[in-house]
Amino acid sequence: MTQSDMTDDGRIETTTEGDSGSADPEHGDEELIETGVTAGLEENESQTFDGRTIIESRGLDVYYGDEQALQDVSFEIPEKSVTAIIGPSGCGKSTFLRCINRMNDLIQNARVEGELRFEGKNVYDDDVDPVALRRRIGMVFQEPNPFPKSIYDNVAYGLRLQDRTDDLDEKVEQALKNAALWDEVKDRLDESGLELSGGQQQRLCIARAIAVDPDVILMDEPASALDPVATSQIEDLIQDIAEEYTVVIVTHNMQQAARISDRTAVFLTGGELVEYDDTDKVFQNPESQRVEDYITGKFG
Amino acid sequence: MARESYQEKLDQLRSDVLYMSEVVLDRLRKGLEALDSKDEDLAWAVIDGDDEVNQMYLDLEQQCIDLLALQQPVASDLRFIAASFKIITDLERIADLATNLGDYTLQAERDVFPEVDVQSIGRFTVEMVEEAMEAYANEDPEACRYVANRDDELDGKCERASQLVVRDLIETELDDGADVEVLLTDVSRLLLTIRDLERVGDHAVNIAARTLYMVENSDELIY
Repeated sequence: MTQSDMTDDGRIETTTEGDSGSADPEHGDEELIETGVTAGLEENESQTFDGRTIIESRGLDVYYGDEQALQDVSFEIPEKSVTAIIGPSGCGKSTFLRCINRMNDLIQNARVEGELRFEGKNVYDDDVDPVALRRRIGMVFQEPNPFPKSIYDNVAYGLRLQDRTDDLDEKVEQALKNAALWDEVKDRLDESGLELSGGQQQRLCIARAIAVDPDVILMDEPASALDPVATSQIEDLIQDIAEEYTVVIVTHNMQQAARISDRTAVFLTGGELVEYDDTDKVFQNPESQRVEDYITGKFG
Repeated sequence: MARESYQEKLDQLRSDVLYMSEVVLDRLRKGLEALDSKDEDLAWAVIDGDDEVNQMYLDLEQQCIDLLALQQPVASDLRFIAASFKIITDLERIADLATNLGDYTLQAERDVFPEVDVQSIGRFTVEMVEEAMEAYANEDPEACRYVANRDDELDGKCERASQLVVRDLIETELDDGADVEVLLTDVSRLLLTIRDLERVGDHAVNIAARTLYMVENSDELIY
């Protein structure tokens, strides 16, 4: 399956009912009421979505063998924003993240029930090619993992794989600029990516992820292995790229979630989504006492 | 219970704010008493005691800043610290107004307009501050609203008292031998006393408003 196949699959519902290509959030707001993707909005009026829904989880259950990792998780992630997922270890937050681009397929005994919709299309439908899906939903991991190749080749890797080599130099430069790394590496693009510092390596991985121009970038603890300065660079970068891309970030660092995200989802033990709301609301006045106890450190 | 040291610091802040309020209330009561009994020693005690209140205020301000900087409080903890940070400012201002009462005591040589019941107004403001601090201690939203409602009553009392003084001045023909300058000073002081007590009530409402924010995340009473 090619990327355009996936695009057709994924966009049919949204492009016909609401202008999914609209870059104008003001108009997008009015149109989103009509889209099939956002029908679930009416069920929970307390949440305020100011962007079109791009990812929607509906009654998602995930099991690893007999153990249930996610329980009936339902929420909607708006496009071009930062959504943070927080919660104690083992609450299923990384599991959820890995459902979005079907990384859990790689775990042998993982079983997914319910729906995880991307652009209105359930990514677990039989006709969805996970490889094509991952081209549109990139991922950045906790440990920076550049390929043992040059800086240039790291960024160009995905583009070459997709035969999108027209204007390759420009695309690499733009991706490195978008990842706030260009000025630091422009004179040594042929050096190995592994020569860079940890923070630079992580920004290189972000450049590699955005070079193929995905819609969504998933980040699993992207700054937890970095020092405070490199962490703030990554945080600034996340907020910048959220103007163009949808970022979903799993973090153990609650202050990081508070600093950079527009919306926060709190998963608690048992794989349950306990609260999902605007980030300022969650950190100033959470609805749930369990969330209050977790974020104030009274348990967990 | 996790974060024990943090919890202890929050408890410490709460008890220190309540202690400061007791000291401030004591100063307010003594200021009123000094005014009533023309007790200059008591007046001086209130005035000299203001440094102690100012120091308490600065210490508590630092406690709040330390908690914000070092503990990254969120949710109800954040609202508690933010509210306390504002409330200690109101308490410090109430103490300043109490020292004004001490100053007025020292300046006053005689009572003018004894029919104006400053003590009754004063007791009313003391009650409002007491009730606001009880609301804070007990995290009681209804008590916050009660304090806010009482402010209208206080404002009415103060307005009537001021009008009584002004009306009387307009209607009174002064004797030829009357010392206008002394009378002017006395009357101005009385009007300032009424205004200061009215402000104590405003600070009590501020405390209630911040407490309601702390308890219910509501800005209902904030201005």
